[in-house]
Amino acid sequence: MIEKNKPLSIVKNESEQAILKARAQALAKEPEKIVPASELLEIITFRLGGETYGIESVYVREVYPLRDFTPLPGVPAFILGIINVRGQILSIVNLKVFFKLPGKGLGDLNKVIILHNNLMKFGLLADEIVGTASVLLSTLQLSLPTITGVGREFMKGITAENLIILDGDKLLNERKMIVHEEIAFTASK
Amino acid sequence: MLNNMRVGMRLSLGFCLILVLLSGIIFISLSSMEISRYNLERIVTINNTRIEMANGMIDQVREVSIAIRDACLLGDSEKIQAVTANIAKIRKEYDEYLGKFEELPAEKNREIDEKIASIKAVQQKSRDLNDEVVALAAAGKIEEANVLMHAKASPMVKQWIEMTDDLVQLAEKRSILRYNEAKESQSEAYRFILLLGIAAVVMTIVISIVLTLGITGPLDICIAAAKRISNKDLTGDLTVQHNRGDELGIMTQSFRGMIETLRDQIREITDGVNVLASSSNEILVSTSQLASGAAESATGISETMTTVEEVRQAARLSSEKAKMVADSAQRVVQVSQTGKNAVDNTVTTMLHIRDQMEAIAQTILQLSEQSQAIGGIIATVTDLADQSNLLAVNAAIEAAKAGEQGRGFVVDAQEIKSLAEQSKQATTQIRAILTEVQKATNVAVLATEQGTKAVDGGVKQSAQTGEAVKILAESSMEASQVATQIVASSQQQVVGMDQIGVAMTNINQAGVQNASAMKQAEVAAKNLNELGQKLRKIVDQFKIKEA
Repeated sequence: MIEKNKPLSIVKNESEQAILKARAQALAKEPEKIVPASELLEIITFRLGGETYGIESVYVREVYPLRDFTPLPGVPAFILGIINVRGQILSIVNLKVFFKLPGKGLGDLNKVIILHNNLMKFGLLADEIVGTASVLLSTLQLSLPTITGVGREFMKGITAENLIILDGDKLLNERKMIVHEEIAFTASK
Repeated sequence: MLNNMRVGMRLSLGFCLILVLLSGIIFISLSSMEISRYNLERIVTINNTRIEMANGMIDQVREVSIAIRDACLLGDSEKIQAVTANIAKIRKEYDEYLGKFEELPAEKNREIDEKIASIKAVQQKSRDLNDEVVALAAAGKIEEANVLMHAKASPMVKQWIEMTDDLVQLAEKRSILRYNEAKESQSEAYRFILLLGIAAVVMTIVISIVLTLGITGPLDICIAAAKRISNKDLTGDLTVQHNRGDELGIMTQSFRGMIETLRDQIREITDGVNVLASSSNEILVSTSQLASGAAESATGISETMTTVEEVRQAARLSSEKAKMVADSAQRVVQVSQTGKNAVDNTVTTMLHIRDQMEAIAQTILQLSEQSQAIGGIIATVTDLADQSNLLAVNAAIEAAKAGEQGRGFVVDAQEIKSLAEQSKQATTQIRAILTEVQKATNVAVLATEQGTKAVDGGVKQSAQTGEAVKILAESSMEASQVATQIVASSQQQVVGMDQIGVAMTNINQAGVQNASAMKQAEVAAKNLNELGQKLRKIVDQFKIKEA
């Protein structure tokens, strides 16, 4: 019993030390400076395909868990399907397909970020919602010229913490998002 | 022919002849004596009695006449009556005499019968007359009575008496006749007897001479042979008259057979004596050897006795050891009984433990299921945390929309979000702990399964142990019984060894006696040998063959 108690007590001591250390670090932190709201950019951060993205919260109506969705036939591949959010039918865009990123399958924990403006309304598929954050516009780096690909035109900038800020307005106004396709039913006629 | 007749036959024939002669003599003498006796008897019994009777009758007649005269003389009626009674009495006596005379068993004689008839006639007449006389006298006519009496009655009475006298004389004549007859027959008998007697004497002499000569001849020959035999001479033969058919012939033949048998026997005895002599010699040698052998066996028996004594000691020792073994076997039985009880208890305890283990396994399974349920609950809680996180984000978005007024609410939303994060972390921790718990429960389940198996094995083992201990108890019981039997048999062995010791002592004594008896037998064999020699000498004295 004594031999078993000994490592327990050590662990206890270590946890105590860790707690003490954390407290010390918290106390040692500099208090944040109060920044005016105009200089701040409110964003929602989320994870997608191993990367952390952010999007302006102005374009976000709400976040919603992806529970049941209905796949639609005759739509581009980036349209995952449609979901019912409190009586509203919304289409879901899979950015991984849209940006041609490598990705894994869907899970229960996937979330939908519902974007909207005056004209458009659709959901973005996200692996995980990280939370809200405020980013200083001054710290935001404009999109680097090194970055190429489809996603380049929808990027607003990258923070120092490698947070990619997406341009919600551009996404909402993207012509590709509007799907209009007719299938000729020649066989039936 | 006479020689072939048996001696008994011959003797009986001779004696029969003599007997016939003698019986003739006896018959003749007896018949003559019978005749003379008959005549004499006639004389004595009949003729003399007749004479007597007749004389009595005469007396009675005279007495009656005297009485009548008395009556005539007396003339007294009373006295006459007495006389009359007297006369009646006398007449009665007379009638008796006459009756006796007639009743005598005599030969019918015409002369006597005629005489009696005439007497009876006269008697009747004179009686009538006498009665008349008496009647007259009774009537007082005495003179008339006297006249009648003298004139008629008295001569009548005289005639009666004379006639009776004639009867007497007739009887006397017949007596003389009888006497002469007897005399004559006697003399005749005398002559016959004399002749026959002489013949008998001559016959007897002749027969005796013939018989004696017939018997003594062969006897003399036999006697001579017997004398030779008594002088141990068995030679010679009895050839004379051996063809005779009578007893003497048989006797001589038997004698001859006897001599031959004796000869054969003596021969055989001689052979036997020779064999006896050699055998007794051999017996002497054998008894000497036997005597030495008996002495050796006596020493051997004494050695065996010491060995038996040692074996008896060993048997006694083994009996004690067997007793100890039996006691220890008894103890082993008790111990094994105790062990059996202990193993039974162990088995029941093991069964109890198995039940307990099953209960534990059940409990752990329940625990596992409950931890599964906890996992479900944790998933729910995680989901809730997730949703609250989303809600916080949504709240933050709403707050951001509100602008400056919503800034405070942003902080609240952040707080809610951090709470959601914390709760998520907590659920993660719980999940980790639960995983650990599940692992531990799985391990516990495995452990309980193993424990159950081990307990089952233990139950089996204890059952096997119980069986083994039971078998051990049974075998120890059997061993105890066997040990008891061994004790009993070793006791019997000891007793048997004691008996063997006693028997060996007896055998030893018997051996010693045997040795002494063998010595005696040796002496006896010596004596026997000497006896054989003697017998040979004795037998050699007999002459069997003609020298």
